[in-house]
Amino acid sequence: MKQTIGLCIILLIAIALTLGIGVRDVTLMDMLQAFIAFDPTNPVHVVIHSVRTPRLVAALVAGAGLGMAGTVIQSLTRNPLADPGILGVNSGAAFAVVVGALLTGRSDSGWMSAMAFPGAALAAISVFMLGGGARGQAGPVRLALAGTALNALLLSLVSAIVLARNETLEIFRFWVTGSLAQADVRPLAGMSVTAAIGAALALLLAPRIEALSLGSALARGLGTKPARIQFGALLAVTLMTGSAVAVAGPIAFLGLLVPPLARRVAGHALRRELLASAVIGASILLYADTAGRLILAPSEIRVGIMTALIGAPMFIFIARRLRPGAST
Amino acid sequence: MRGGLVLIGLLLASVLLSLMIGQVMLSPVQLWTGLMTGTGPASLTLRVLRGPGIATAAGVGAVLGVSGTIFQILLRNPLAAPDIMGFMSGAGLAVICGIAFGLSLPLPLLAAVGGLLAAVAVAMLSYRRDAAQAGLTLILVGLGIGFFTSAASSFLLTRLSPQDASDAQRWLSGSLAARNWGHVTQVFGLAAILFVITALQVRALALLELGDDLATGLGTRIRRARYGLIATGVLLAAAGVAVAGPVPFVALMAGPLGMKITGARQPGGRLFSAAVTGAIVTVLADLAARSVVPGLQLPVGVMTGILGAPYLLWLLAREMEAGDL
Repeated sequence: MKQTIGLCIILLIAIALTLGIGVRDVTLMDMLQAFIAFDPTNPVHVVIHSVRTPRLVAALVAGAGLGMAGTVIQSLTRNPLADPGILGVNSGAAFAVVVGALLTGRSDSGWMSAMAFPGAALAAISVFMLGGGARGQAGPVRLALAGTALNALLLSLVSAIVLARNETLEIFRFWVTGSLAQADVRPLAGMSVTAAIGAALALLLAPRIEALSLGSALARGLGTKPARIQFGALLAVTLMTGSAVAVAGPIAFLGLLVPPLARRVAGHALRRELLASAVIGASILLYADTAGRLILAPSEIRVGIMTALIGAPMFIFIARRLRPGAST
Repeated sequence: MRGGLVLIGLLLASVLLSLMIGQVMLSPVQLWTGLMTGTGPASLTLRVLRGPGIATAAGVGAVLGVSGTIFQILLRNPLAAPDIMGFMSGAGLAVICGIAFGLSLPLPLLAAVGGLLAAVAVAMLSYRRDAAQAGLTLILVGLGIGFFTSAASSFLLTRLSPQDASDAQRWLSGSLAARNWGHVTQVFGLAAILFVITALQVRALALLELGDDLATGLGTRIRRARYGLIATGVLLAAAGVAVAGPVPFVALMAGPLGMKITGARQPGGRLFSAAVTGAIVTVLADLAARSVVPGLQLPVGVMTGILGAPYLLWLLAREMEAGDL
């Protein structure tokens, strides 16, 4: 109970900071008024509505989605280094965006996000399979290396296309520099719904995923069908990470940072862990975004770079603590 | 011995092929006249257009191949290579830092400092009291350092002016475009020095491969020998990075491929075959990068990435099958 309140307060402060800090600082009073009594002639209200709220929603969708996806995938693989970014969602999305632009010549952001989603999903499933996920052997080293290999392949193909066809370069540049700053032109509504479906599926399956992580023989004894649960969990992960990439662009390592914190707060019940992951993921992304906007103001550090700079040391820290003899 | 000759034959064949193919196709006869008389289109191709790039590719491939093999023997793990363990992206980050902060230091020096710092970081961070699974921890920590340095590089890229950024981006993907004989001299000069240093350490490498206890028993100062070999390996990788950028996967692939062709088992033979195989791989990748899209020179790193990633996946599948991973 105490933890729940604590988490909510942390998230609320993050939301207030995101809405409040910027070129034009906004007071709490303005924020409330902008939502309760919206006045289209008041520039402050317009800024909150058209710029900062989309940014906030994108961060909530991406942060909560990536956090929950990280917890699901770690619990499914029993691998503390599993992360949607390591599963290749970002390079898969980049590849799909560039190929889509090359084939159709379209470059509007709605179309790009629509391409990003299947790209991210396919990459995630491929890495999971290549890393031995189907046989329940997706250990830290395997998954990380399979992800590294697929990332390298996809990014090589992306640079080949981008350098060969100049018109795709601009699109790609927009895409890779994409951050929460462009949230207002991305398809927020559709992706929020998709992410919510993924989250609901994950919460629904949580007890069975837990049973599965005890080992597939035991899970079968408890009456679950391992292959079906794995498929469902992977589907949930894909829905959540795909929509996260579509609204926020490439964001690395959030799925790695969140699960250990969630476990500490919520204990070892997966459903509680998942809810905590959503709140923690959204909070971390909002704070990282705010910090990225403040450190080098008036210019911005992309939030994806912020999370990578925090997340990579975390990856090393966890790698060091892996117990010898633990499943590799 | 016969395997070695086969490899050298393959290298000569790929260099010849690479000289012949391009926007202007040349026959071996034309190349020969161009080489002998110093006139005609073939001469220009040899001296300016294709010659320097191909020579640089061979040199870069050779140093990267040897570097990867040193680590693979030392850690007894086919996954141990400077590109997987983050040394090459460390070297790349140092060079980008140099561009971003306007340091006027020579690129090899910057790359060497960056590579060595990354190696020190990996070694220190992966140190743990229980030696069990030390190799896997090393690789994971190396991957982590690679993630971090790439993130830092892409951060710096966003701070550069658009022109600098696009140059730096091209360099970071491993490019051999517009190399001149200065680059060739640089990479072969550094390679010559470092190969001699490597040759002096081959005996220690062979002993270390047997295991620490046995090596100590046979009179090796293992700690010193190991540090020396690691430093040599990192400097070799840095020499390659300084000329061509962090070309991925050559260091990883060259050793095992070369071993397949020559059948060499001793460290000396493995290092030699890795050098030649690395050169072949890079020359052919450069050829592919020049000719896949007509009229456009792709970075060579793009081609080695496309060729190398399936190899890494295959290696992973095989290691999993064998239960080593």
